Amino acid sequence: MKLKQLSIKDSLFKYGFYVILFGVILFFTFSAEYFLTFANINSLVHAAAPMLIIAAGMAFVVFTGKLDISLGSIAYLSTCIGAVLMKNLGFPPAAAFIIVLLSGIVLGGINGFIIVILKVNPLITTLGTLTAFRGLGLILTQSFEIRMPEAVRAFGTSRILGVFSDVWLALLLLILLHFIHQKAVFGKQVTALGNGEEVCLRLGIRVDRTIFLTFMLAGFLASIGGIVSMAQIGQSTTFLGKGMEFTAVAAIVLGGISLFGGEGKIIPGVLIGVLTLELIRNGLNHLGANPYLYEFVNGGIIFTAMSADALKARLRGQVILVSDENT
Amino acid sequence: MKKLVGVAFVMFLFLAAGVLSAGAQQEVDDGKYVVGVSWDEKSIPLIQAWEDYMIAEAEKTGSAIGLDYEFIINVADLDPTRQASNIEDLIQQDVDVILARAKDGAAIGSSIRAAHDADIPFVVFDRKSLTAEQGDAYVGGDSYRQGRSTAEALADLLQKQGIQGKCIEVMGDLKDNNAVLRSVALNEVAVETGALQVVTQVPTEWDPQKFLSGITNALQAYPDANCIFLASDFAWSAVQAALETHDRYKKIGEAGHILTATCDLFPDALIAMENGYIDVSTTWDAYLHAKALVEVLNKIGTNAPLTYGEEGFLVPGRVVYPETLAEMENVWSRDYADWTAQ
Repeated sequence: MKLKQLSIKDSLFKYGFYVILFGVILFFTFSAEYFLTFANINSLVHAAAPMLIIAAGMAFVVFTGKLDISLGSIAYLSTCIGAVLMKNLGFPPAAAFIIVLLSGIVLGGINGFIIVILKVNPLITTLGTLTAFRGLGLILTQSFEIRMPEAVRAFGTSRILGVFSDVWLALLLLILLHFIHQKAVFGKQVTALGNGEEVCLRLGIRVDRTIFLTFMLAGFLASIGGIVSMAQIGQSTTFLGKGMEFTAVAAIVLGGISLFGGEGKIIPGVLIGVLTLELIRNGLNHLGANPYLYEFVNGGIIFTAMSADALKARLRGQVILVSDENT
Repeated sequence: MKKLVGVAFVMFLFLAAGVLSAGAQQEVDDGKYVVGVSWDEKSIPLIQAWEDYMIAEAEKTGSAIGLDYEFIINVADLDPTRQASNIEDLIQQDVDVILARAKDGAAIGSSIRAAHDADIPFVVFDRKSLTAEQGDAYVGGDSYRQGRSTAEALADLLQKQGIQGKCIEVMGDLKDNNAVLRSVALNEVAVETGALQVVTQVPTEWDPQKFLSGITNALQAYPDANCIFLASDFAWSAVQAALETHDRYKKIGEAGHILTATCDLFPDALIAMENGYIDVSTTWDAYLHAKALVEVLNKIGTNAPLTYGEEGFLVPGRVVYPETLAEMENVWSRDYADWTAQ
């Protein structure tokens, strides 16, 4: 009897974010005339595109039961490198962006190295690199904004079949990452790690290598997110990536990915989490809401999502205990 | 052992990078008039312009009154906590006066108090303290009048064209006094003149990404909006992208042009005005701000009385239109590059 009650709660947690998302859409659809239009949804996903990509990287790290709070700074530093190469050394955008992507991998690799080889706690490591990477970016650019060449700006507003190009890019990446997470050996190892490193070691999974690759992948995706963000606004600014890591954490928790690791999916988890946050911002814009309300609403949502995740983990523990008692 | 060596190596790298990038820590020289400067950020060229104009003006005017200026400058990278720590560092270095552009007007009060406890005068620059601790002087642009003159010019343009304005207000960081004052001014003018209605307010926290998404959303929600008021045009590139998304990035006189009024006239916006995309702006005069600032620093350095108006040393901006831009002198966003080259 007790098990049945908990399973109802469990399913509520499992599908709760769908209910929230549906409720949010319904509310804004009836409150704002132009909310549920193709043009607005297109703009909304366009605005969310950088976060979709960065949050997917964060999700992989979180699947392993770890956290990378330096992703915003990786996005910033890697794009600074690209911007400086384009501005000061006359690199063509394509060449500069390849270096940006390599930089993202290297920066993620630095995190991985410190965590895996030096055995420093991931939170402490990425807290340090959060500041250090941003600092390097500021030194590189002298903290100045760098305007992008017209070709890059044009990509930021370009469309394919009426949908923004970066939306296609983000969706394609999410599908690919979802496939890797669900089907590839690497993805399964990542999830297994989140469910217990000790067990993985006994099963012969190369734990350190998987963690290292996860941080590299997150760095790589952060640099793609950075490029998309920079192309959208047409310049490299010190704001780029600032606070993105925390929004990414909030989004993935909202999307049902547990911060305790080993649970959740890229699709629909990341997609729903990021779009819910963007939907709310977009909807408040449409309603002409009091500007002071935005931070309050966002804070409330993040707090609710985190609380729900903690409660879910506690309940999962209870279910296991009750099951043990019955056997 | 290997791990220990690894940790030591990483620490060494960070330390070496810090030393190489920052240079040796500046020492306070005896006999110098040492000004500790705490910038909240340096991501916009305006701040570098302020700094360069200020140092040049201090060198020019200081020697005449026996002040041998030295500047110790730190930057908080938009972090109020880091700014408090930076100011604490300046206090520990026993500078003669502290000058700060606050990241958070509500948080700067404790730093002002700490400086006063150490008997160090404190000058608040550009962003007013929103606390009871106001510092010894406030120097800055007159944000209220800047917002008001821009809004009045916008209302005037609308009335001349016989259009009832439906305006999108793009706000700044609501923790920044300048942003709040510009918003107050616009909304007052809207009520007083009746020439325009603010159909929506877009908060941005001065983040260009939020300029982009906010304006995009606002244009989606209010497709009949015919004017836009920018609390600052520093993120013009993002504004341009948002207008392009809605096919509203049109020159003055072209069909679909959205009447655009801005504050500050930053370099990108200056080019946009020259090209006919911005209808009116009120300048944020970096050179005049720096002059006023050095005037205050000179007075503090020579123990002269700080006589000024109730609101501090406020420098009004100048209203500029595309047709008057070329004649206007001393526009920092146009002339600063030439000035530094000289």
